[in-house]
Amino acid sequence: MNDEKRGGFNRRSFLKAATGVAVASVGLALPEKALSAGREGNLATLIDLSLCDGCPGKESPACVAVCKTLNQGRIPKINESIPVPWPRKTIEDWSKKQDVFDRLTPYNFIYVHRADIDEGGRKRTLFVPRRCMHCDNPACATICPFAANHKYNNGAVVIDQELCFGGAKCRTVCPWEIPQRQSGVGIYLHLLPSLAGNGVMYKCDLCNDRLKEGRLPVCIEACPRQAMLIGDRREIYALAEARADAMKGYLYGKTENGGTSTLYVSPVSFAVLNGTMKKQPGRPDMGTAERRMAGTDGMGKAVLQAPIYGIAAGVAGAFVALSRRKKRVKGGDNGHE
Amino acid sequence: MSDRILKDKGLVMRHSLVELVEHWAIALSGLLLLVTGIFELPIASRYYITSVPGLAWSGDFIKSLYIHYAASVVFIAAAVFHLLYHGILGERGMIPRAGDLKASIEVIKSFFGKGEEPPFPKYLPEQRLAYAGMAFIIAMLILSGLVKTYKNIYAPDMSLTLVLWATWVHNVFFVLFIMAFIAHIGALILKPNRPMVRGIFTGAVGLDYARRRHPLWLKELEPVGEDVRRQDIEAEPSLLDVSDEVATADFMGEGTPIPDMSDKAAVTQDSVEKSPPVVSADVVEEAPATQKPH
Repeated sequence: MNDEKRGGFNRRSFLKAATGVAVASVGLALPEKALSAGREGNLATLIDLSLCDGCPGKESPACVAVCKTLNQGRIPKINESIPVPWPRKTIEDWSKKQDVFDRLTPYNFIYVHRADIDEGGRKRTLFVPRRCMHCDNPACATICPFAANHKYNNGAVVIDQELCFGGAKCRTVCPWEIPQRQSGVGIYLHLLPSLAGNGVMYKCDLCNDRLKEGRLPVCIEACPRQAMLIGDRREIYALAEARADAMKGYLYGKTENGGTSTLYVSPVSFAVLNGTMKKQPGRPDMGTAERRMAGTDGMGKAVLQAPIYGIAAGVAGAFVALSRRKKRVKGGDNGHE
Repeated sequence: MSDRILKDKGLVMRHSLVELVEHWAIALSGLLLLVTGIFELPIASRYYITSVPGLAWSGDFIKSLYIHYAASVVFIAAAVFHLLYHGILGERGMIPRAGDLKASIEVIKSFFGKGEEPPFPKYLPEQRLAYAGMAFIIAMLILSGLVKTYKNIYAPDMSLTLVLWATWVHNVFFVLFIMAFIAHIGALILKPNRPMVRGIFTGAVGLDYARRRHPLWLKELEPVGEDVRRQDIEAEPSLLDVSDEVATADFMGEGTPIPDMSDKAAVTQDSVEKSPPVVSADVVEEAPATQKPH
């Protein structure tokens, strides 16, 4: 890293240099945590795995600890007896394991995976913070039957815990199965708790409330290594590309699940990193993450065109019927005369 | 409208081929939409529907969505076609008229043995009301569904207010659609309506049924142009062979003024049959003479 550039580079000057070329030329620099003044508009985040060191010596990484603290008390106190759903009796109760921080839970929206890599005899360790990727076209949000999960135009994908029934559909369609369920809370308790709904889904919301106030997400603010950045999407994308180029490294999140607003930059390929991960509940891997909804887009476009098909067929059909009717009337007249 | 009387077969064409295709396109795609819509709720796994042989796909929201989309293409195109085709042709027999609500109540009462049915035109008043209700439900489902589809493909970050409206309109009208569907099937189970069932499969209903229940419709069908009238008149003797009751209803359709729907006493089948001057076969035979001046 270029310390000189780092020292002489502040947010204001970065703002002025916010063109692609300028970003590329200063891309190796460590800018401040937020690029541009923007916590509005289309945002993206960057997670630089060459910088994250997993916060050695701390009980839990700074980002994880601060997120946990911020979101403490978000989930109401759980009633002792969580209604047993019928007929499948799945209950997911994390209320007695709120301290767990080495996986995603309803009480833990970010965790850090430790990747021990053996590169042809050269051992190295990388740390990979994992949380919601805030996808460009998030199936978790678009497919929510109650619109309880929504992508805002700043890019944050946010679950409304007042409206969520905890059906976990969002988790099923997420390639990383990020959202986590807490049973025994939420709106479903007021309806037919044993027949419909099963709690509330929780995940990272990119600190959307803080963003609205012009503040940074706590994980980004707390990172002692500035391994995480947030800013204007184009700037972050350009910076991530520049950094990846400079370290002859790799990007993750640019194309995964159809594109996301979280870009990982890594000196080690994500195939190798993925090799250190085993996908299991609350612990996403880093696979290719195809956007499955893409398979429905073509048919969806046909749906949007369907009114036009109907108009064309209706007008054509009526025209044919009218001309037949006319012919019949004419024929009748002739016959009469 | 291709409605016509097939005297030799004892049938009346009630629905054209176009109408049958429309109905079944809407009905079958609607049924598929209903089922795949239910599978968009996270219930298939919870209720072990995925364990039912042949329904393993029900737990796959994206497969269900694909089928939901495919069915919507048919559903939307058929609904829009219906509006334009019949709108342009001026076929408005199913649009509710003044007094339908009151008349419907009387008719529904008669299903349960209270009072007599009045004679109907092609559609019953409650059919017209049900049509309007179903059309409104379908319109709301289509409009909200189009917004949701657009969001899914192009604009996941569209205004939350709009997404909430579209979603909840879709959900509420989905429930109404299920209720309307059940009511629609339920109406066919009622005995007086059963003869109409063959109509939606074959396009034709029995002539005697139509004479008994839809005399105002048959009246529209019989005396059209002068040529038609002449043909009808020529056909009259064979018509008399069918049955007295048929001839009666037929004559009533042709020779009597349209009964006032609001005057229930005057329009019940009984009162028509009991009015001697009108129903005798002699009068029927004289009818051509009286109608010549037309």
